[in-house]
Amino acid sequence: MVKAKKEKPSYIAWLSSMRFALNLLIGIGVITALGTLVPQGQDPIFYLDHYGEMLGQIIVALSMHKFYQAWWFQLLIGILCFTLLICAYQRLRKAATIKSAGSLLFHLAIAVILVGAAWSLGYAHSAAVEISVGDKISLSPHGFKDGELTLASFNIDYYPDFQPRQYTSDLSLTHYDGRDYQQLVYVNNPLRAGNLKIYQSSWGWIMNLKDVSQAVPQTIKIKNHGKYQLDDTKMVVLGAVFLPDYAEDNKRVFSRTPLPNNPHIGLTLYQAGRLIDAAIIAPGQEAELGAYRFVFEGFTYYSGLQLKYDPGVNLVFLGFGLLLLGLMARYWQLIFPGKGG
Amino acid sequence: MESQLLTLSFILLVLVVATNLARLWHPHIFLSKISSLLLYLALLSLVSTLGFRIMGANRVPFANMYEFTIIFVCMVLLVALFIRTSHPSPLFDLAVALLLTVLLSVASSLPSELRPLMPALQSNWLHAHVATAVIAYACFALAFCLGFLYLLQANLPAADLMSIDEKIYKLVVLGFTLLTLVIITGAIWAEEVWGNWWSWDPKETWSLITWTVYAAYLHARRTREWKGRKSAWLVVTGFIVVLFTLFGVSILLPGLHSYV
Repeated sequence: MVKAKKEKPSYIAWLSSMRFALNLLIGIGVITALGTLVPQGQDPIFYLDHYGEMLGQIIVALSMHKFYQAWWFQLLIGILCFTLLICAYQRLRKAATIKSAGSLLFHLAIAVILVGAAWSLGYAHSAAVEISVGDKISLSPHGFKDGELTLASFNIDYYPDFQPRQYTSDLSLTHYDGRDYQQLVYVNNPLRAGNLKIYQSSWGWIMNLKDVSQAVPQTIKIKNHGKYQLDDTKMVVLGAVFLPDYAEDNKRVFSRTPLPNNPHIGLTLYQAGRLIDAAIIAPGQEAELGAYRFVFEGFTYYSGLQLKYDPGVNLVFLGFGLLLLGLMARYWQLIFPGKGG
Repeated sequence: MESQLLTLSFILLVLVVATNLARLWHPHIFLSKISSLLLYLALLSLVSTLGFRIMGANRVPFANMYEFTIIFVCMVLLVALFIRTSHPSPLFDLAVALLLTVLLSVASSLPSELRPLMPALQSNWLHAHVATAVIAYACFALAFCLGFLYLLQANLPAADLMSIDEKIYKLVVLGFTLLTLVIITGAIWAEEVWGNWWSWDPKETWSLITWTVYAAYLHARRTREWKGRKSAWLVVTGFIVVLFTLFGVSILLPGLHSYV
């Protein structure tokens, strides 16, 4: 008597078929392409303004404005991952040659990358901070478990035509996970502390002003092109522009270079949105604007840093390695005939 | 000097087109030799163009789309010269020369001023990323030329068609492997520079779409026996996607790669 072979449930057979995987891959490709045609991450009002009421509402309703974060897109990626794992499992039983083992490894690697990406999606945390030279900030208010960040110095290296060559922050991370770190952080060279990385992402000038019109003089820190609310009830706002290498001609004031060779601050005073006074002063000088008097005490750089804790990225990189190994094993003989494999 | 050499390369490639049109009309060994000579001279002229660029910029010419296109043209020509040793066809020379003249025309319309490397580009990953991209896309370009040839020469003996099909397959396998490396090096670099190994930037998204098209080719060939005309159509389509990824995205869909 012949024992009946156990049939695979039909939906599993369908999901694990190469035809389904291929169609799914092409489908995801087409959908991904469509995603690049719609500007991503804007406010819903943007789509209503630019695409009209009806199309705008469809875009927002289908989450096409955050295409790659939409639940249905991630569901498709999840199904792809599932299909790859089933395909890989089926190949596992047939992986007798290096070529087929390579193919198995390649498909498993894609699943590993997707699992790593999902891990990042669920557990990664990032925050942007700005820290002035000489300042220290605590990381816990930014959602990290502990640690303190100190910026000892910040430097911009320029090409002869004053295009920026590199931005460098001398950073110390202390008491993070029981350890201390010190490093020059620049673009392409983040500080690594376990799964936490700190990136150089932006910079700017920050100026110190003293409001001497108050009974008790008050120090104001204001960023270049920043605004500071002086009086909420009267809606008085102070604006500041930093001119590191101040110069003027008949028509305008400007900065000759980005270097602080002749630093000045341009101050503007607004009331209810209307300009009421303006002045340009050098460090140590005092300016009278309306009923206020300010002394320009000094200036320094601030460094914009991106902090990212991501436990999934190492799994993604492991997946990359496996992907390449799988590809090499699968195609080595074809690309380099007669050289082993 | 650089722009004169680029013009010379263009003229030489136009001459290759003319020579091979003449070869199609009147096949002669002399015209074949002229075509070879012109192709080698064009390569020499393009390499010299790059040499002047490197000397002028004092860095590898990987910083913008203009530089990438010149290197891409060089690489396509280099691999084409290798392929034509086993596939000496006037149509192949014609297809390659036509493609390269179009690419050089595009290059001449791109901003070409010498600029120093911005901070984000100062990484060894730049070299790995761009070098692999140049070779990968050159493989796809030549697969496209051969695919075109396959579709145009349906009356060739079966053995010759099979040989073209096999060459296309090998080029796609090499291109696909390198494109995988392009995406991986790009992702690792993005993690180093921006703290995000994948951000659905239009350029990286279209690279993934390109990868998907060639992955579909490899799957279809293996599991659905898509060989010959069907797969030739797929590599022709694939290269159109490559061209959109290279030029279309940069022009129409700005993103993190806007500087190229």
